[in-house]
Amino acid sequence: MLIRIQGGRVVDPTAGRDAVGDVWVENGRIVATSERTPDRTIDATGCVVMAGGVEVHSHIAGGNVVMSRLLLPELYTSEAAPEGHPFAHAGGSAAWIGANYARMGYTVAVEPAMPPANALATQLELADIPLLDRGALTVMGNDDQLLQLLRQREGKAAVRDLVALSVATSRGLGVKCINAGGASAFKDGMLKLSLDEEIPVYGLSTRKIMTALLDAVEEIGVPHPLHVHCNNLGIPGADESFVDTLEAAEGRRIHFAHAQFYAYGVTDPENPATGGFRSAAERITEAMEKHPNATFDVGQVAFGQTVTISLDILRQFAGRKGANPKKWIVTAGDAEGGGVVPFLYKPRGAVSSLQWAIGLELMLLSKEPERTILTTDHPNGGPFTDYPHIIHLLMDKEKRDREIAGLHKVIGERSGLCAIEREYTFSEIAQLTRSGPAKLLGLTDRGHLREGARADVAIYRDDRDRTAMFARAKLVLKDGVTIVEDGEVVAWRSGHTLELNVESDKAMVARSEIYLQDRYGAGLESFSVPDEAFPKADVFEEVACLS
Amino acid sequence: MAAWVKGGATDADAAVEAAATLLASARTPIVAGLCAELSAVRAAYHLADLIGASVDPVAGPALYAELGPLSRTGAMLTTPAETLGRADAVLIVGNAPWERAIVQEIAESVPTRGRAAGAERTLLSLGGTRNGATRHVAYPAEAGGLAVSVAHLRAYLKGHLSGETAYGDLAKRLSSAQYGVVLYDPEELGELGVEMLQGMVKDLNEVTRFFALSVSDPYQGRALLQLSAWTTGQAPRVGFGRHVPEHDPWRFDSARQIAAGEADAALWLASLPAPRPDWLGTLPSIAIVGEGSPEATGDAAEIVIAVGVPGESAGGSVWNDRRATITYAPASGQATALTAAGVLAAIQDRLVQKKGASC
Repeated sequence: MLIRIQGGRVVDPTAGRDAVGDVWVENGRIVATSERTPDRTIDATGCVVMAGGVEVHSHIAGGNVVMSRLLLPELYTSEAAPEGHPFAHAGGSAAWIGANYARMGYTVAVEPAMPPANALATQLELADIPLLDRGALTVMGNDDQLLQLLRQREGKAAVRDLVALSVATSRGLGVKCINAGGASAFKDGMLKLSLDEEIPVYGLSTRKIMTALLDAVEEIGVPHPLHVHCNNLGIPGADESFVDTLEAAEGRRIHFAHAQFYAYGVTDPENPATGGFRSAAERITEAMEKHPNATFDVGQVAFGQTVTISLDILRQFAGRKGANPKKWIVTAGDAEGGGVVPFLYKPRGAVSSLQWAIGLELMLLSKEPERTILTTDHPNGGPFTDYPHIIHLLMDKEKRDREIAGLHKVIGERSGLCAIEREYTFSEIAQLTRSGPAKLLGLTDRGHLREGARADVAIYRDDRDRTAMFARAKLVLKDGVTIVEDGEVVAWRSGHTLELNVESDKAMVARSEIYLQDRYGAGLESFSVPDEAFPKADVFEEVACLS
Repeated sequence: MAAWVKGGATDADAAVEAAATLLASARTPIVAGLCAELSAVRAAYHLADLIGASVDPVAGPALYAELGPLSRTGAMLTTPAETLGRADAVLIVGNAPWERAIVQEIAESVPTRGRAAGAERTLLSLGGTRNGATRHVAYPAEAGGLAVSVAHLRAYLKGHLSGETAYGDLAKRLSSAQYGVVLYDPEELGELGVEMLQGMVKDLNEVTRFFALSVSDPYQGRALLQLSAWTTGQAPRVGFGRHVPEHDPWRFDSARQIAAGEADAALWLASLPAPRPDWLGTLPSIAIVGEGSPEATGDAAEIVIAVGVPGESAGGSVWNDRRATITYAPASGQATALTAAGVLAAIQDRLVQKKGASC
């Protein structure tokens, strides 16, 4: 079917396009302007037309997400469902996640933390998220098999082969390391870990583990750079960890998760632990400008009750003291494990206000929004459903000032946010939420509206109230099919789970089989994610490695 | 493949038709058991939503002994593999865990990873008197039962009680562990006991690393718990009477509902072995059970459909106790044509057709 999206303001920064025009769609792809009469014409007059949104870091599936629902069942509310998907109004469910992303015009979402030991459960859950294409990053960096290889100085090839096998077995889209070595160190009694601190038993450091993974990702040709959650998240002086890690990459591609939680400079160098923190957004921005090999997602804070979910058990154990309400879960898992700690971001609280300001500051200081991805690290900084509000704050200085006026005065004292006049343009929003994350994931046919792109398109009514505009898309096409109209889902369909097409080395398969049998009493098969496990066929879609 | 309607053998299509007719006329049906592969459990939740049923797994009592304390206070947990690989001290609470194979594995191995690697493993028990074959240091339960015993032990650990007592000695042993694990059965220990035990584990982590490992129920509870959470956002016992999942562990306890006369039809799903509920024949009911199981007979329920058994005559994603996660179990023998998920989907399709025809 030939579709013409007519008369909208088409915003595609990858093509330098921001003008009223048409977008043509046929067979699920963007096509060139056609002379033929379209089968369907969508009137986009008065609307903004963008590619579908792409999410790179949102905790939407996996054992710890499940635990968060059980720990804090009151976090989401369920509403009586109208006709449609049976569970889309069940707050926090997989269907609810898919529906709410789709309503905002998002068409891809990636779970950033899939432990290989729990891959099948995570993938089954992801597959139950309707409407979107989705994927997951395979987490490494605390597993004994990898740490043993490194301790024994087995060389880059062995690490590469183990990483490739782990990604292939778990059917991941990329590789992530979370406070590399931190979970192992925590299990052995440590409560804090820095980049070069020795990890007990293994004699390694975060730097050694991370750089080995950086090399492996490059050698395999994973399109998405190593996704790194640094040491010392959320503490005063975390900016040091961020910058040190950035430099440790030595020019290799690296993506930083939720940079806001690291943009905390110490206020009192004499008393770094007790003196509080101030914004280090400028320092982070300068460091990023010097390192074009790096990208980050923000981890913006949104006020209200949430629950933090992380495989960084060392950090989550430390964070238990701030649990609100006073309950928490820490699991010492087969590698990382997980920590689930409820948290309340208080609008009038000094700490929460400053965190909120720092996230915005990071985005507003960035000269390259494509390297600055909008996330809330859902649900850690707040729910992804707050994106429209955050976009509003970025695009509207007056709106920002009004909100700041109601928040704690620490924003003016310890951040540079108040002085920033910048307002994001639609093109910059598209870079922040479309082209940037799509490039980052190596999804070359998404995040833009050029010929050949997948016909994932979001159409928004142009409204000065950007929150309203981006919360309920006027129309969303997924692969050329209308899935949302006037902010409501009109067609429930399944997307695909994106997996990296990576080959496994036979020798590493044999070696891992022996290791796993010894450790788990079960081999690689018990870690596998077979097609037959899924209730529907055609779940996965391959993404090629870089050549 | 076998199916029965009112005791008479029939084919699967006729049984599906009868099941759809039965459910279509029910006003407050229940879907129970759910001891099955995940695809079947998933189909059961979808069917329950369609017919406005309540859902209650046979694993409910074991699950809710943990879920209450979990949502009130949280937990510190570990896995079987981490216990075997790292633990230098393991405390077994109660009798029930001794029935599990992991106890023998723990007793026969030593830590090989982490800071306790190479150390002796100390096996301790509290209130476990049944197993005399495995060498361990035993501490008796107090008269008040296991939960009270754990409370007293915690008091010694916190310094609220002191003295040269057995529990004082046990407290010292736990505190001196480098990676300690407490193994327990939540159903045996009870809600209050689990909450106290998790509090004790959290207290221990102020001085060392210590985690809890609860033995899984044998009825797929851990697997369906995950599916339930991602499907409904809630734990398993939910009702769909208002077409929104409402979680209420008391209200949607199937045994209570049936005893109170609240349910007028039931669907029992157990493609894997599970104890047949005594209420199964007392109200109009459908049993979808594993072929070859004792329930695969014409008298088990009004409608009985025998289906493939995951891991034997069907593939399926099931709970792997040793791995403590969901893994895929392929059919070990000839796969049967009829799966539990397929039957449930067929019943759902037939119900949708009936609904359409009645409009």
